[in-house]
Amino acid sequence: MTLNKNFSSDGKLFTIQIKGKFDFNLVQDFRSAYSEIGDKTPKVIIDLRETDYMDSSALGMLLNMKKSLGDSVSSIQIANCRPQIKKILQISRFDKKFDID
Amino acid sequence: MRILVVDDQAVNCTLLKYMLEQESHIVFCVSNGKEAVEQFTGINPDIVLLDVMMPIMGGFEAAPLIKKQANDVYLPIIFITALDDQKSLTRCLEVGGDDFISKPFDKIILSAKIKAHTRTRELSLKSFQQKKLLEFHQNEVQREHEIVEHIFKNALIEHLNVPDIFDYHLSPASMFNGDLFLASPSPIGGLYIMLGDFTGHGLSAAIGALPTSKTFYSMAHKGLSVGEIASELNNMLSDLLPSHMFCAASILEINKTGRSVNAWLGGLPDGYILDEIGQVKRVLASQHMALGILESYEFEDSIVHFEVDNTDRILVLTDGIIETSDKHNEFFGEDRVLDIMSYSKQAKISDVVDAVKEFHGDIEQQDDLSLALIYCKATPLPDDEPRSFSKIPMTFNVKLEHEQLKLSDPVVQFVDLICSIEGASEHRSNIFLLLAEAYNNALDHGILGLDSQGKDTEEGFYQYYEQRAEALLQLNSGTLNFTALYQPDTQTVLFTIEDSGDGFCTTHCHHADNKSHTHGRGLGLMEEIANNISYNDVGNKIHINYCLNERATNT
Repeated sequence: MTLNKNFSSDGKLFTIQIKGKFDFNLVQDFRSAYSEIGDKTPKVIIDLRETDYMDSSALGMLLNMKKSLGDSVSSIQIANCRPQIKKILQISRFDKKFDID
Repeated sequence: MRILVVDDQAVNCTLLKYMLEQESHIVFCVSNGKEAVEQFTGINPDIVLLDVMMPIMGGFEAAPLIKKQANDVYLPIIFITALDDQKSLTRCLEVGGDDFISKPFDKIILSAKIKAHTRTRELSLKSFQQKKLLEFHQNEVQREHEIVEHIFKNALIEHLNVPDIFDYHLSPASMFNGDLFLASPSPIGGLYIMLGDFTGHGLSAAIGALPTSKTFYSMAHKGLSVGEIASELNNMLSDLLPSHMFCAASILEINKTGRSVNAWLGGLPDGYILDEIGQVKRVLASQHMALGILESYEFEDSIVHFEVDNTDRILVLTDGIIETSDKHNEFFGEDRVLDIMSYSKQAKISDVVDAVKEFHGDIEQQDDLSLALIYCKATPLPDDEPRSFSKIPMTFNVKLEHEQLKLSDPVVQFVDLICSIEGASEHRSNIFLLLAEAYNNALDHGILGLDSQGKDTEEGFYQYYEQRAEALLQLNSGTLNFTALYQPDTQTVLFTIEDSGDGFCTTHCHHADNKSHTHGRGLGLMEEIANNISYNDVGNKIHINYCLNERATNT
């Protein structure tokens, strides 16, 4: 379970990548990751390609991020979900609030 | 030297034998051409002294037959002759003779002639041996090349499993290719593409292609990001390659919709996003140094990200194409490539390749030529394989005391336990979610007595987890029981989680549908994913029924 973050070369894209387990153990790490985003309005991608597990506390964290960032980012995309993770997001109607590819 | 004397006159034989043996040669005598031809292989002479006039078979007739048996090594034939007319001497040379010695024999002239021909014979023998050695090595090298070629073919062949959404051309300047084009489907849908160009060409350049392709495919199968793939390849190549060798590469990931692309670009010439009619929409300029140069701590894995339309195409190429020169030393150049691509909607890679070939004409190809055109189309996930399920009933039972509750986060271990049942591992994310929700509810509310109210606000959310950590630290009693029962007839797992708390119905049971309030979003998710959920009367024990024989992702 780890969290990686980085800006793209042009600084317009901020990616948070979560490996393994996305649950309450990441509460602090996740919050401090998105607090780095300034007002340069980058696009944010939450890359879940290596996320095997996710529970409702992860959903809570994503919602908090959205509330906290508000209009300071142009869009938040949840990308590269594995099918079961995508299903969890769909059941929770996250597709209405986030851009899920 | 072994010398064969062919003469029907015994006196000549004896004389020659005597003279030559004094010079430490080994001498054999036969009395006519036929005997010489028949005994040639057995005697295996280095020099032949051949009389012209003999019964049965004369020297003119025997000479070509003897020469024939000498194969590839020079065998001097010296005619013994009393004739001195020009016609006879010419005839001697025509039938394969190399020299003459006239009767009566002069010892000094004979000795000098034998010495001269010995030198030539020795030289010829040496060069024959070298030729044989060379042939042996050539065969050896060819055999090795065939083996290597076979391995290369197998190592690079995986792209055949990939949907047909790209068009590419690779033409090596020699037998082996220092350029490589790899493609692999991603486990989350979508496609990885890599075009690489190793320094130089030929076998030394191609050798890096093997570990590169293996690494690329194994990372692609794990569904890693292009930055991670680039970083791993860089580490592997910088360990492996000598310092003057590296691999310029573009690594792309096109997601399953075909509309979003991530790219790590290191050292190749500009790539292009072309629209439907072949106009350049975006230039993909290299961002980084080639793979295999930088140490891992210096390496940059940052990527470019861009959106494309499903009618767009991505063109990537190696410098072999643009640096192909014509007889005036002019480069083919990027502009010619782009012009060809914009001639018509149907412009293909082969059109560029044909133009490059025509351009360089009969000048030898200097470098490996590679280019690829990738169509930005959707690539849905491949079909699932048929599944099978364990036929053995199983029960797992874990009891955790408060010391273990304090120190461990056992849900993933529970999941691993359940996924050891054949047919369950496909469901690991769902099983995790069910168990994580049930476990955390039992621990947070049943044992730690936390209240979820206030969790709706951002601050409340973080405070809740701080309180939880604090309460866990103080915990000095409580137990939690986890049971899983697998029933093979229904392919169902029944999970039970029971805590030592009072149950939510006794602590917070204000009204009937309190559950949704207490457990919030988690319970809704569990109800959607499980087949059935029930509680005991007091609410400290939850039963979850989950069937494995349904697609984990059916909604």
